[in-house]
Amino acid sequence: MEQNELILKVEGLSVNYGHVEALKDASLTIGRGEIVVLLGANGAGKTTLMETILGVHPPKTGTITFKGASITGKPADKNVRDGISLVPEGPGVFASMSVSDNLLLGAHHNLRDSAGKLDRVFDWFPILKDRKDQTAGTLSGGERRMLAIGRSLMSNPELILIDEPSIGLAPKIVNDIFAIISQLNAEGYAILLSEQNAYKALKASHRGYVLETGRVVLEGASADLLNNPAIKEAYLGA
Amino acid sequence: MEVFIAQFVNGLSLGSIYVLLVTGFNLLLLVAMIIHFSYPQVVVFSMYMSWLVLRFTGNNVILGVLAGIVSAIVLNIAFAPLFQQVMRKRGHVDINATMVVSMAIGMIITDVLSHEFNNGFPIAFPENIKGDEALFQFGLIHISRGQVISLAVGLVAVSAFFWLLYRTKYGRAFRAIAEDPANARLVGIPIFQTGILSYAITGALGGVTAVLLAVLLGSASPGLGEAVAHKVLAVSIIAGLGNLVGGLVIGLSLGILEAMVQGYITGTWSNAIAFVVLLVIILAKPRGVFGMKL
Repeated sequence: MEQNELILKVEGLSVNYGHVEALKDASLTIGRGEIVVLLGANGAGKTTLMETILGVHPPKTGTITFKGASITGKPADKNVRDGISLVPEGPGVFASMSVSDNLLLGAHHNLRDSAGKLDRVFDWFPILKDRKDQTAGTLSGGERRMLAIGRSLMSNPELILIDEPSIGLAPKIVNDIFAIISQLNAEGYAILLSEQNAYKALKASHRGYVLETGRVVLEGASADLLNNPAIKEAYLGA
Repeated sequence: MEVFIAQFVNGLSLGSIYVLLVTGFNLLLLVAMIIHFSYPQVVVFSMYMSWLVLRFTGNNVILGVLAGIVSAIVLNIAFAPLFQQVMRKRGHVDINATMVVSMAIGMIITDVLSHEFNNGFPIAFPENIKGDEALFQFGLIHISRGQVISLAVGLVAVSAFFWLLYRTKYGRAFRAIAEDPANARLVGIPIFQTGILSYAITGALGGVTAVLLAVLLGSASPGLGEAVAHKVLAVSIIAGLGNLVGGLVIGLSLGILEAMVQGYITGTWSNAIAFVVLLVIILAKPRGVFGMKL
């Protein structure tokens, strides 16, 4: 698989919430074999960018191209069917529903071979198999993240958007989650993740974009961004 | 003891009607995110449609039943764009605005029924629909065909609904939207189509209820919907808004309570006494006996 073949191309994307400009003229690309990270403080527009790619917010201007075809303005459920999935920020699971129901929600559009899909998720996350009949509300924070990631795999995606995978988790669990993200990428999933934990995210990714108040202010290879003085000062606490 | 058994059966059959109505009301609340206060008016309108078809088909029961069910589904779905449009215009899900829309729909239905049908007089269903003859008579215990039918059909309809809710992908999507609509959309659940499906299913439940009311009461009047609407809203609040299992228990309990008041105290005060009990419960349990699920 060619790492540089683009799976997603976002050009000049602007999104308004009422009179607030959440995203201003943002552009980015993701290659088929890449992990790309979005860095930025709270409110910088990371979640808005991901949700707009998924099709939740209608863009004011700009285009989104997925696998060579425009998906600008397409609703989220169509995009999920076409191969984009999103792991939301926070617990992101349905606490009152069973673990297996949570997973099956990810395959809502195509329940053919749902047992096979569940088995593949259980291969990634064996703990979920033991807990499959429990409600998601009984899981630990790390298990809920795994459940949300597992659910995102159920729709057979090609591109996975992961919003703040490390937020609220213990360092040991964060390491596990990043290891899984790297393995998923090695298996062929393109990944866009947003992070405030810049060091770990840049270590784990190929390229990065820095968002500030809705604008892309910096982009480059992750190794370069790690050594960028502005990044060091703003995000790495050095 | 005889009075007790007789009124208990009475209460169960009345309660099964409440359960059906509360279940439909709650589903719309949870999935379509509307307070359809006038849902019982839609049901009563469907009773009228059934009555009309019975009249013009020489009391063909099958066509009459079909007319009640189909008209409830069609009417319920027909109002969906109105609710959706009000929500879109206001920019977000405004559940109070949907209640006002629903009340307007209810008023219009009541007025149409009282002007256009039977000169506003109550309608009476033909003998072959009415189920008031006794299947079983023992002293004071009188169990009618209508009571048995409404209990049996109510049980089947509610079981079918819960099967759909817990055993199908649509039910799974319903539960996801009910718990967290924003997250459900992020997961890829088609919110709009699933919402429309909830209108269709509540329409079907409402249609079944319309037929059961015809069988059980044997008559209907333009004001019936509103009287029932107050009780359905009350049951839903007492059980805990959106709590489907709670609605089941409280709906049946209200039916039994009303029947007991009728049997032991007085028929004419059963509504007032029922609402006093409901008021006392809501004072003690402000979020409902079983807890809100919103």
